[in-house]
Amino acid sequence: MTTEIGQSSVRSDAVTKTTGSAMFGTDIALPGMLHGRLLRSPVPAGRIVKLDLSQVVAAPGVHGVSTAADVPDRRSGLVLLDAPLFASDFVRYEGEPIAAVVAETRELANQALEFAVLEIEEIPSVTDIEAALAPGAPLVHPDWESFDTSPGMAWPRSGNVVAESFADPEGVEEAFEKAAYVVEDRFEAGRQYQAYMEPRMAIAEFDGQRFTIHVAHQFPYNVRDRVAGALDLSPSQIRVIGHHIGGGFGAKLDTGLEPYAALLARQVGRPVRLANDRPEDLLTCQCRENAVIKIRTAVSKDGALLARDVEVLMDSGAHATDIPFLTSIPMHVFGSLYRIGPVRIKTRAIYTNTAPTGAFRGVSGTHLYFALERHMDHIANELGLDRLKYRRSSLQSDGAQLPTGQVLNDAGILSKAFDAIERKAPWAELGIGPNRGVGVAACMWLTNPMPGSVTLKLNSDGTLGVLTAATENGSGAVATGVRQIAAEEFGLSADKVIVTMPDTDAAAFDAGSQGSRTTHIVGRAIHEAAVQVRARIFETAASLLEAAVEDLELADGAVVVVGTPTTRIPLADIAAAAQAAGGPISESGSYTTPMPSVNPTCASGLLFPAFPTPTYHVHVAEVEVDPVTGGIRVLRYLVAQEVGRAINPQAIRGQIQGGVAQGLGYALWENLWIDEGRYVQRTFEAYGLPLATDIPEIEIVLLEHPDPAGPYGAKGVAEPPIIPVAAAIGNAVADAIGISINAVPITPERVLEALVDLR
Amino acid sequence: MRIELTVNERKVMLDVPPSETLLTSLRERLHLTGAKEACVEGECGACTVLLNGRPVDSCIYPTAASSETQITTVEGLRGTDGKLSPLQQAFVDHFAVQCGFCTPGLLMTLSALLANNPDPNRAEIQQAIVGNLCRCTGYVQVVEAVEAVVREAQR
Repeated sequence: MTTEIGQSSVRSDAVTKTTGSAMFGTDIALPGMLHGRLLRSPVPAGRIVKLDLSQVVAAPGVHGVSTAADVPDRRSGLVLLDAPLFASDFVRYEGEPIAAVVAETRELANQALEFAVLEIEEIPSVTDIEAALAPGAPLVHPDWESFDTSPGMAWPRSGNVVAESFADPEGVEEAFEKAAYVVEDRFEAGRQYQAYMEPRMAIAEFDGQRFTIHVAHQFPYNVRDRVAGALDLSPSQIRVIGHHIGGGFGAKLDTGLEPYAALLARQVGRPVRLANDRPEDLLTCQCRENAVIKIRTAVSKDGALLARDVEVLMDSGAHATDIPFLTSIPMHVFGSLYRIGPVRIKTRAIYTNTAPTGAFRGVSGTHLYFALERHMDHIANELGLDRLKYRRSSLQSDGAQLPTGQVLNDAGILSKAFDAIERKAPWAELGIGPNRGVGVAACMWLTNPMPGSVTLKLNSDGTLGVLTAATENGSGAVATGVRQIAAEEFGLSADKVIVTMPDTDAAAFDAGSQGSRTTHIVGRAIHEAAVQVRARIFETAASLLEAAVEDLELADGAVVVVGTPTTRIPLADIAAAAQAAGGPISESGSYTTPMPSVNPTCASGLLFPAFPTPTYHVHVAEVEVDPVTGGIRVLRYLVAQEVGRAINPQAIRGQIQGGVAQGLGYALWENLWIDEGRYVQRTFEAYGLPLATDIPEIEIVLLEHPDPAGPYGAKGVAEPPIIPVAAAIGNAVADAIGISINAVPITPERVLEALVDLR
Repeated sequence: MRIELTVNERKVMLDVPPSETLLTSLRERLHLTGAKEACVEGECGACTVLLNGRPVDSCIYPTAASSETQITTVEGLRGTDGKLSPLQQAFVDHFAVQCGFCTPGLLMTLSALLANNPDPNRAEIQQAIVGNLCRCTGYVQVVEAVEAVVREAQR
C-alpha cells in the first residue's frame, strides 16, 4: 500500500489558483450588493468637536450612514473590552473609524465621504512606548479602569500599561553579586506589516433574522464571536463563510471590517461589502508590535549563565487586541535554549496613540530571540569564546525546565540541529573575507494547542469528505497536510479527499490558522474521527464479505481480506450498503493539546502559560556588508528545522523559504517608521517588501522527531522559520563590521551610522 | 466611451467612463476575476495582464487606452484543449503557489518572459518578476517552476 505521509502531493487548490478560477474573498459579488466605506480619523489623538454627515446622506448613490449613535454603547475586544466600534468623543489613533457610509459603488461611497464635516481638536498624544510610561504622560484611555475583560481573564494593568507579566524568582540579585561578568544590552525592534497580498475585506447579508458574513479570514469562529460582541448579538445569529485567503500571517485572526459590514447590511437590508484599499489596510492593520528589550545576564568566570534580568516593553497601540497574551511569551524565551539560573522577567504592553498592533507569524518571537541571541554573542565575545562553541557547550538537554516550570522533554534535539548545520556548512569556513561575517541563532517554538474538530463522511463514490472550519491561509496545512492525513487513515490517495471550505453553521469550532496548529490539531482530530469511521467501514464490510472484522484491512480504496487480496470490496460499495442499512457513515472527532504543567505562581499576568509541542531550530547566515552603501547581501542562509514528521516535504520547504524571506524583510528592510503617531510609509512601494532578487535559496535540513501525540508524529511547521532570522542576520552583520547594531531593521542607514561612529 | 478590444481571443465591446482602469473593466464588466486588485499603484503586479503580449499593471492602465488591443488574462492561459499551460502545470508541480493571490500576475509576467526568451537563466527570471510581489513563497519555488519549464522545453 502506498503512503501519503512524507509525499509531496500537490496542493488541492493549486490548479484553481493557477487558472484564476479560485474565488478569494475580494472576488465575491452578491446580487444587489452595496459598498461601504469608513470615515477614519486623520489624526493620532483628538477630541471630536463636530461631526456633520447630512451632506453625506444627501450625496448621490448613498443608502445610509452609521455612527456611534447607531450602535450599542459598548466596547469589545479579544480579551480586554476596550475598543468602541466608532469613536464618538475622542479619537485615539490615525485611521480609527468614526462613521460608515454605504452607497451604490465604492466610488460613490468615497465621493460621499468628501462631504463629511469633521472637526477634531488635537490633544496631547503619546506615540512612543517609553514616553507613555513617563510620570504625567497623557493617558490613551483615561477611563481604562472601567474596561471589562473576557470572562475568567484577569491580569495586572494600570494607566497606559495595558498588560503586565512579572516573574521575580529568588536568587537573581545574589547571582549578580557573585558574577564575574555582568553583560548588558538594549535592543529595539520596529513594527512589521503582514503585507498579505489580499487587502482585508468582508461582505455581510442580513435576512431579517440572521447574518451571513463572507470572509477571507484565518479564524471564522472568531469573526462570529467578535461581531456578536461588537453588535450585542448572540453568536449563533451569525453565519461566517470562508473563501480563499490571499495571505494573512496573523493579521486576519481578529476582526477588521466584518462588524461594519454586518451593521450596514442590517441597516439597508442589502448585502454590503467593505474592502480596504492598500494605504488604509497598511494604516489600520494589527502589525507586529514594535518593542524595546533590556537584558542583563550574570555570568561566571567559566561562562555559566548564573541569572538574568529582562525588561520588555511592547507597543500595543491604541487597543489591547491579543497583545495581553503576548506579554507571556518572554517567559518561554529568555530561559530557553541554554542552561541558566533564575530569570527575572518584567514584560509590559503599552497603550500608545498608534494603530493597534497584534499577531504576526511568530508573535513577539522575532524580537525576543533577536535580543536573546544577539546577547549570547555579546556574552561569548566578553568571555573571549567562539560564539558557536560557547552556545553548544551551554545547550539545554532533555528534561530542561523553562522559568515557568515547563519541562522540555526533547530539548536535546537542539544539539542535533547544530550538528546538521555543521555537516552542511562548517562554521569555520563561513564569513571569511573582508566585510563578511557569519551569524548563528537558535529558537524553540510552540505548536498552538487550541481546539479543532472535523466530521468525516464516506461518500457513495468512495471518496472521503472532511467537514471542518479549519482554514487554508496559503500554508498548505489544509490543502496538503490535513488532506494527506485523512487519506492515510483510509489508505486513499490525497486526491480522493475533499475538504470543505469553512462555514460556522456547518462545522464545529476550530481555532483558525495560527501558531502552526492546523496540521497537528486538525490532523489529530481526523485520527479521532477515523477510528470510528473505520469501525463502521469494517463492520459493514465484514457482513458483506462474510468475514471477521479482525481479518480486514484498508488498501487502495477498498477493504480486503488479509491474505486474500482478491477478496475485496470497494469503499463506494461499503458507503452505499451502510447508507441503506444503518445510515450514512459519518463520524466526528475533536482535539486540543493538553497544556504542559507549569508552576502557576511563577509569574503574574501569565495569560499564555506554556509552550506545548515545542520544536527546535537553528539558523546560520553568512553576509557581506558594503561599507560604502551600508547595504547587506545575504550570501548563504541555512536552516535546520525539527518538524516532528514531515507530512509534505515540498510544502514544508515552501514554508521555510517563505518564512525566512519574511524574516529577512524584518531584519533588513521592513519597518513602519512612526513620526508623531503617523506612519511614514503608507504604500507598498514606500514600505519596501523583499523582491525576488533579494532572497537567496535557503539551504534546509529537516529533522524528524515524531511527536507521540501525532498525527503521524507531525508538529507545527509554518511559524518558526521567520523567528531566528533577525538574530542570525544581526549576529552576522556584527561579525562582519565588528560593531553591534542592536536594532532591527538593520538598514543601510543604521550600518553607515555605526561605521561612522567607529571612525 | 465605446472601446473594442480582444480579451482571451474573444472580441468584446465595452462602454466605459474615461477614467476606468482595465482591471475594473476585466473584473467587474467581464467577470474575469483572475487578475487581482492589491495595491492600485502599479507596485505589486497582482493585476498583471498581457496587452499585445506585453505585461502591464491593469490597475493603473486605462481601459480607454486599450482600444483595438489583444488582452490575455490568466483565464486565457489554458490551451484550447483545456489543459494547463506548461508554466501553469509547473506552478502546480513545484509548489510555486501558496495563498495564490499573486499567482495570476506572476504567471502573466513569466509567460511573457518565456515568449520573449525561451531560455532565461536564474538571474533573468528573478529580474523579470521584481515587479511581482509575493509574500508567501520567498520566490524560490516560483523561479524553480520556470526553470523546470525551460528544462522540459529543451528535452
